[in-house]
Amino acid sequence: MKYFLYWGCSLEASGANYLKSLKPVCELLGMEFEEIDDWNCCGASVSYAGARDLSIRVLNARNLALAEMQGGYDIIAPCSSCYIQLIRTNHELREDEKLKEKVNSILREAGLTYNGTVNVRHIVDVLYNDVGIDRIKQKVTRPLSGLKVAGYVGCQSVRPYGEYDSKERPRVQDEILKALGAEPVKFPKKMQCCGSGIFLPEMELCMGLVKDILEDAIAHEAKIVSTVCPMCAMNLELYQGRINQLYNTNIQIPIVYLTQLMAVAFGLDLKEGAFLHMNYIPPEYVIKPILMQGGDSK
Amino acid sequence: MISWNNNALRDVLKEVDYAEEIYKCIQCGMCAGSCPLRHHMDYPPRKIFALLRTGNIDLVLNSKSIFLCTSCYSCIVRCPRGIHVMDIMHGLAHYAIKMGKISRKNTATFGQEFWKQIYKRGRVDEKDLSRRYFFSDGIVQGIKNALSMADMGIIMLLHGRMKLLPEKPIKGIKQLRIMLDKAEQESRR
Repeated sequence: MKYFLYWGCSLEASGANYLKSLKPVCELLGMEFEEIDDWNCCGASVSYAGARDLSIRVLNARNLALAEMQGGYDIIAPCSSCYIQLIRTNHELREDEKLKEKVNSILREAGLTYNGTVNVRHIVDVLYNDVGIDRIKQKVTRPLSGLKVAGYVGCQSVRPYGEYDSKERPRVQDEILKALGAEPVKFPKKMQCCGSGIFLPEMELCMGLVKDILEDAIAHEAKIVSTVCPMCAMNLELYQGRINQLYNTNIQIPIVYLTQLMAVAFGLDLKEGAFLHMNYIPPEYVIKPILMQGGDSK
Repeated sequence: MISWNNNALRDVLKEVDYAEEIYKCIQCGMCAGSCPLRHHMDYPPRKIFALLRTGNIDLVLNSKSIFLCTSCYSCIVRCPRGIHVMDIMHGLAHYAIKMGKISRKNTATFGQEFWKQIYKRGRVDEKDLSRRYFFSDGIVQGIKNALSMADMGIIMLLHGRMKLLPEKPIKGIKQLRIMLDKAEQESRR
């Protein structure tokens, strides 16, 4: 199974533990990746301050055109912002002939053109629908038995299209967590937005959002939160200290990527495979006792 | 009676993508009810649309609501009339900045710096973006801002989550800029 992996800007920096854990996990599942040569940023969620809609569509159409030209494999976007921008552009170009013509007339300035043949997928979509739960189960050598996980979905991975999961009651991430032997907990704030791209400039307001999400997860007995977006991961993890100061709370819960939990369950090294040491709130203190129960303390 | 400014409304309809959809709004408030930061808004999206339709453009462009969209798509998913609520809020923020009405300076600056990164290199360099954002008000304020966030920077650095080398422009940066310039021209038509 060959794909383009469009990891985007964040996964090279603040979300590096996502990319690093994703690669060995997907390799183990038989997936092969290529990079879209000379890809550009998707525009994420705050570009509107400097650009209008057409510019952002063009930005994404360039990546789609490059992918089409370079082999046309499905594009996997692990970052929810990248995913939504790419898939949205793809939808709009496929559905709106006039827009497609307009965008192509602009792409032609760089000798590019996009015919609409490439598919855009979120990593969770591919894990669930291409790889499948059975295959994931087969690879589990260290089940995460009894680990209560809040599978946080956030916003941009299933909204607005609900391409691979319900827009209001998503369950795919939880199914994967179950396949790893973990126990996904139900918590109502599963899809409450974390503040996404405006977290830094609107920190005080957005800390309130994150506080609500984390308190909800903790109240429903989660010991760890799993995410599938670098923006969610950063916002949920990094500001817990500040939130405690501001609200006089005592929140501390590790935030990991789904792929990090997969790496652990697949028996990969906690450091060299799951890259847990790159997380600020150490997930080891929650994960290691679970592994010890199973007789594996590595 | 509410003030009516027909020309200003016409400009909004031209300058804000999807703005013509405000006429489809039935004022049900689903967008407002679904918005994560609604409690902090002076006018939730529903009221923004009502203000626009009655020509109260200044109130809209000066409102902080238009800068408080987290882009979560909840309003778009739930709007029974299929209105691109989020995009209209984005478009209004873009237009307000253009008109020099910037009610949330930090958010406007952050977004503008983000776009500049893309225009400059084709990719975003998180540490350069933060630096430019912190220092957008000059060096003294910049040092204060940077110091107040230094703990975060150190955490990221120590955990290998900061790219140390500066981001280089993509190979096709010149063509990308030509495309983005053309897209901007086309948007104005």
